[in-house]
Amino acid sequence: MISGFYFDGKTSDKKKSTLQYDDQGNIRISDTGADEIHISSIKISSRLANTPRYLNFPDGSLFETTDNDAIDKLVATFKPSFLNGVLHGLESAKTAVIASVSVVILFGWVLIQYGIPHFSKEIANMLPTEASQYMGQGVLEIMDKNWFEETKLSNKKQNELRLLFSQLLEDVEESGHYKLEFRLGGPIQANAFALPNGTIVFTDELINLAENNLEIAAIMLHEAGHVKHHHSLRSTIQQFSLAMFVMVVSGDVSTSSSIVSAIPLMLVESGYSQKMESEADSFSLNYMLKHNINPIHFVTIMEKLEASYSNSYDDCMEDSKEDTKHNNCLKEAIEEKKKNIDGKNLTDYFSTHPNMQKRIEKFRVAK
Amino acid sequence: MGYDDSAIDTTNVTENFDFTGKASEYFSIWIVNVALTILTLGIYSAWAKVRTNQYFYSNTYLDGASFRYTARPIQILKGRIIAFAIFMAYYASSFVSVQMTIIILGIIMLLVPAFVVMSMAFRLRNSVYRNVRFNFDKDFKQAYKVFIIPVIFIGAYLIVAAQMQSIATENPQENLILSIIVMVLLLSIFLMFPWWEYMITLFKAEHSKFGGANFSLTATLKNYFGMYAKGYGLTMLMFAGLGIIVAVLIPMMSSSEAPDAMGVFIPVVIIVFALPVYLWMFAYFQTKRTNLIYGNLVIQEHKVQAELKVGAMMLLYLTNTLAIMFTLGLMMPWAKVRTARYKASVMSVLVAGDLGQFVSTQAEHQSALGEEIGEMFDMDLGF
Repeated sequence: MISGFYFDGKTSDKKKSTLQYDDQGNIRISDTGADEIHISSIKISSRLANTPRYLNFPDGSLFETTDNDAIDKLVATFKPSFLNGVLHGLESAKTAVIASVSVVILFGWVLIQYGIPHFSKEIANMLPTEASQYMGQGVLEIMDKNWFEETKLSNKKQNELRLLFSQLLEDVEESGHYKLEFRLGGPIQANAFALPNGTIVFTDELINLAENNLEIAAIMLHEAGHVKHHHSLRSTIQQFSLAMFVMVVSGDVSTSSSIVSAIPLMLVESGYSQKMESEADSFSLNYMLKHNINPIHFVTIMEKLEASYSNSYDDCMEDSKEDTKHNNCLKEAIEEKKKNIDGKNLTDYFSTHPNMQKRIEKFRVAK
Repeated sequence: MGYDDSAIDTTNVTENFDFTGKASEYFSIWIVNVALTILTLGIYSAWAKVRTNQYFYSNTYLDGASFRYTARPIQILKGRIIAFAIFMAYYASSFVSVQMTIIILGIIMLLVPAFVVMSMAFRLRNSVYRNVRFNFDKDFKQAYKVFIIPVIFIGAYLIVAAQMQSIATENPQENLILSIIVMVLLLSIFLMFPWWEYMITLFKAEHSKFGGANFSLTATLKNYFGMYAKGYGLTMLMFAGLGIIVAVLIPMMSSSEAPDAMGVFIPVVIIVFALPVYLWMFAYFQTKRTNLIYGNLVIQEHKVQAELKVGAMMLLYLTNTLAIMFTLGLMMPWAKVRTARYKASVMSVLVAGDLGQFVSTQAEHQSALGEEIGEMFDMDLGF
C-alpha cells in the first residue's frame, strides 16, 4: 500500500488516497472511483533523488507519492528494464559521482591546457588570410583618433627602418601583406604592436630608446611572430571556446559573463596570452640565431623598454639629454627595475606577458 | 500545513512554499550532468537541463503538492542547435564588418518579442501543479506593441554607438552631433526604463494562466518608478559618500613616505567601498523586482506573496560568489540550492478557500526555440 495524492486531471482538486496492487500487477487507487488498471498502461516517472514520483494514467489522471522505495519495488517487480533508473543509479552511487568529479576536473584541465589552444590554432591556420584582414579593419583608425599623433621621425630614419623591415621579411614566408607604421605614442608611451592584418606599429618613443637598428629588428621580429602565428584570431577563438566551456559546465549562460567566473577566466586568458608572447619571442630568437644576429639586442631593448615605464626614467629624461649623464641615469633605472622584477610575483599570473626576467634570460643564454 | 481537506469555508489560509532540495543531492546530479555533457560533446546538456529543472520544480511544494517540469530533452536540444547557429552567425559577423553585425543584431532585436512569447509559452506549458498545466496566451500582436518602443530606442542607441566607433571622422562637428544623439538616447532609455519594465511585466503576467484561469498583476507604474528612484538615489548617495572618503584619505596617504602607495591605494578603495555598493545595488533590484512581481500576482481570489529582504539577498550573493570563486565552481550546486530554499521560505499564497477549483485545459506542443535563444543572448526572460 502506497499513500499519496490523486489528481483527476480535470480540475486541480487534490484527493488523499492510497495505491494498491496485486500479484498480476493490477493497480487500484482507493477512494477515487477509478477502475482497476494494469501497470503496463501506466507511465511512471523515473527516479530523481528524493523528489516525488508521478504515475500517469491513460485517462489523464495522476497519482503523486513521495514513497520512492515502494515505487522502485513496484517497477522492479513488474517493469524491469535496464534504462529505468540508470541515471538515478549514477547519481546515487558514490563511485560514479567520484568518477564524474575526476572526469570533469581531468577533461576540464586537458581542454583548457591543450584542447582549446590546439583547436584555435588549427582553426586559425585553416581560415583564409582574409579573416585576419577583416578583423584588423579600422583598429588603427580608432587608435589614431583616440591616442596617437603623427610620427615626428625624420623621413630618412623612416626609410632606413622600412628598408630594414623588408630585408628582414625576405626570409619570412607569406609576409607580403606585412606593413610598417610609425606613430607618436603619447599616452601609449614606448611600445610596438601587431594588428591582425599584418600592420606592425612602432611608437616614436620606442624607436628613440634603441641605440642601433638591430635592437629595433629584434622587436620587429617579435611582432612579425604575432602576425605569422595568427595570434589575434587565435585569442578571439580561444575566448569564445572558453565562454562556451563555462556555459556547458555551469549549464547557465549568464555565468560566463558574471563576476563569479571573472577571476578564473582572467587567469586562463592571461595564461594563453603569455604562451603567445613566448611563441613570438621564440620566432624572433630563432630568426636571429639563423641569421647571425646577436640575441643580446633583444635583451638590451627589452630592459630599456621595461625601465622606460618607471618613474626614475622620467626623471632621467628631464635631467639632461647630455649623452654620458643620460646613459648613466638610464643604466641606474634599468638596474633598479631589475631588482623589482626578480622572482615570480602574484601579479605574474594575471599578466598578459610572461615574466620579463625569464623572457630576457632565454635570449641571453642563446648562442 | 494547516490545511483541512473537508473544510468548506472561504476563510483565507496562508500556504507557504517549501523547498526540500539538498546541496549534497544536487551536487551528485550536477556533477554527473557535467561529466556526461563533456563526454557527449555537449549533446547531453539538453537532458541535463531537464533533469536540473525537474529537481528544482519537484522539490518545491505548495499545500503538500509538488510542481512538475515536463519538457522533453529532444525539444530543448533542437532549440539549442538553432540558437547556437544564430549565435555563431552573430559572432562570426563581428569578424566580417561592423555593418554586418548591425544588420544581424537588428534582425535579432526585431525577433525579441516573438522569442519572449515563445519562451514564456514553452516554460509555462511545461510547468504542472496538481496535474493542471500552466499556460501562456501566445499574443504576438500585443507583444510587438509592448516591445516596439524599447526595441527602437535600444536598437538606435546600439547602431549610433557602433557608428561612432567605426567612422573615424575628422569633423569635430559631426562627432559632437553623434555624441549629443547618444546622450539623448541614453537619457531617454534611462528615464523610460521603469515604464517599459512595468509594461513588459504586466504583459507577461496577464497572459499567464493556470489551467483556464488568468493571472493578474496588482503592481502599478508608480511602484516601478519608485523602485528605480529609490535604487538610483541611494546608489548616488553611497557613491557621493565614497567620493568624500577618497577625497579625505588621498591627501593623508600622499604625505606618507612611499610614493608608490597611491598605486596600491586606489584599487583597495575600490574593492573595499565600491564593491559593496555594487553588491547592494544588484541585491536591491533583484529583491524589489521579485517582490513587485510575485508579491502582486493574483489568480482568482488567491494572492501570491513574496517578502524577500535586501540584506538577506546581499549576504546570499556575497557568500555564494565567494564560495563559487574559491572552489572553481564546485560549490555552485550549494549556492543554487540555498538560494532556492531562501526564496521559497519567504514566498507564500494567501488561499481564498481552496486551491482545488482550477479547471484544466488541453496542452499543445511548444518549441523550445524562444527560450534557448533568450538564454544564448543572456536576456532574463524569467518573470
